[in-house]
Amino acid sequence: MSTPGPERVPSTVKVGKTTGQGKPPTGGSGANRPGGSRPTGKGGKGKGRKPVTPVKVAGARNWGPIAVAGLVVVIAVGIIGWGVFASVKSDKQKAVPWEERAAAISGLVNFRETNPDLVKGSQHKSGVLKYEQTPPVAGEHNPAWENCNGVVYTEPVPNEHAVHSLEHGAVWITYRPDLPADQVATLAAKVEGKEKTMLSPFPGLSNAVSLQAWGYQLKVDSVDDPRIDEFIKSLRVNASIEGPTALCDRGVSVTGSTPQG
Amino acid sequence: MPDPVTADDPTPAPPRFSYWIPVALVVGLVLGVAIGLLVPRGDSLPADDSAEAGFARDMTTHHTQAVEMGLIAYAQASDPEVRTMGVDIALNQQGQIGMMQAWLREWNLQPTGSQPAMAWMPDGAESVVNGLMPGMATPDEMKRLRESTGIEGDRLFLQMMIKHHLGGVHMAQEVVAVSKDKEVVEAAQLTINSQQREMTDMKSLQEKLGATS
Repeated sequence: MSTPGPERVPSTVKVGKTTGQGKPPTGGSGANRPGGSRPTGKGGKGKGRKPVTPVKVAGARNWGPIAVAGLVVVIAVGIIGWGVFASVKSDKQKAVPWEERAAAISGLVNFRETNPDLVKGSQHKSGVLKYEQTPPVAGEHNPAWENCNGVVYTEPVPNEHAVHSLEHGAVWITYRPDLPADQVATLAAKVEGKEKTMLSPFPGLSNAVSLQAWGYQLKVDSVDDPRIDEFIKSLRVNASIEGPTALCDRGVSVTGSTPQG
Repeated sequence: MPDPVTADDPTPAPPRFSYWIPVALVVGLVLGVAIGLLVPRGDSLPADDSAEAGFARDMTTHHTQAVEMGLIAYAQASDPEVRTMGVDIALNQQGQIGMMQAWLREWNLQPTGSQPAMAWMPDGAESVVNGLMPGMATPDEMKRLRESTGIEGDRLFLQMMIKHHLGGVHMAQEVVAVSKDKEVVEAAQLTINSQQREMTDMKSLQEKLGATS
């Protein structure tokens, strides 16, 4: 059954199309329909003939309904088109994907591209750890995370906990310890009341401010640099490799350079 | 094949068209209206600066603090009922955070937005004090709660959580008032109901334990 089938199909299709539904006798006359039908239909002689002729009669007179149907189709297409246009338009109002927004920040260093191993996550390790980046942006970290629900630390926090916070989607803002108090206050205002953010001084920082998210870093020289807000908007929560419900509380609030373990 | 048509065809054909035209028009109209009603659905997904998106993001922030407060109570409250209250609130609100984050994803939006906190609410932005939305505890208050012990800690938790719920209910009521998104409105109404119930429970716990001075 199945083997002859495919072979038959091509030949059957050709015949079938012209035939209509495949009746050999009707098929023969059917092929002639377009030509023969109209004259017969108009003349009204078709009655005695095969059923084929009357059908054509109807077809010839059917311009009215066809026009209406066409109009309906045009209207429907118009409505659908408008709907598609509207939804496309509203798509434009939607947010640009965070990766794209992040990539547009000049000076942003993306370690996810350059060092995939560093950002794979789930690398719990106790004790003091070494990091290649200063401040660190990802990699092994202590099991406990630094509390990061909008916490303003006035003392440095251990890297080993802070990196864990980054993994949970926190943006960690660090500043050079000699930054004037009013500038620190500007940074603190970006953190207070905003979950998945934390602020701490970082001794030996090369720039005034350095922002970290899991696998991302941006160093700027002014607390008023607009890229700070763009960094937070693009990467807070988004950069989490554990999704938006990873915890930023019930961790530790350790300060100093020694991790709690 | 339209066989029956053939029989009647010859004479009554012309009148039939006038029959069909209004019918087709009505059908077309109904079809058009139906499509028109169906299509804008995609269009009605809340936009990035919509009240729904603002609510989902800000309520996530608001809930996040309640989760922490609840978990503190669960971990260290002295009264068993307060501990149960704490974990119940924490898990309930953490679940709601997940739901709200799923909305944002369904709406092709992201957890973070460009709008300032509470901007989606009429006069909402002014209600934010030091980055804190209505009812939220200050960092100092949170620190006191973390460091609290015994029945004083229980009382502090109840006091802070009732205040927090008042703010949360207010936000949820606002979104119910402005949103036409069925799912958002239903969820917000559920939040209002459950938080009001919890406030009643917490107030009776306050009576049992004595409120903070």
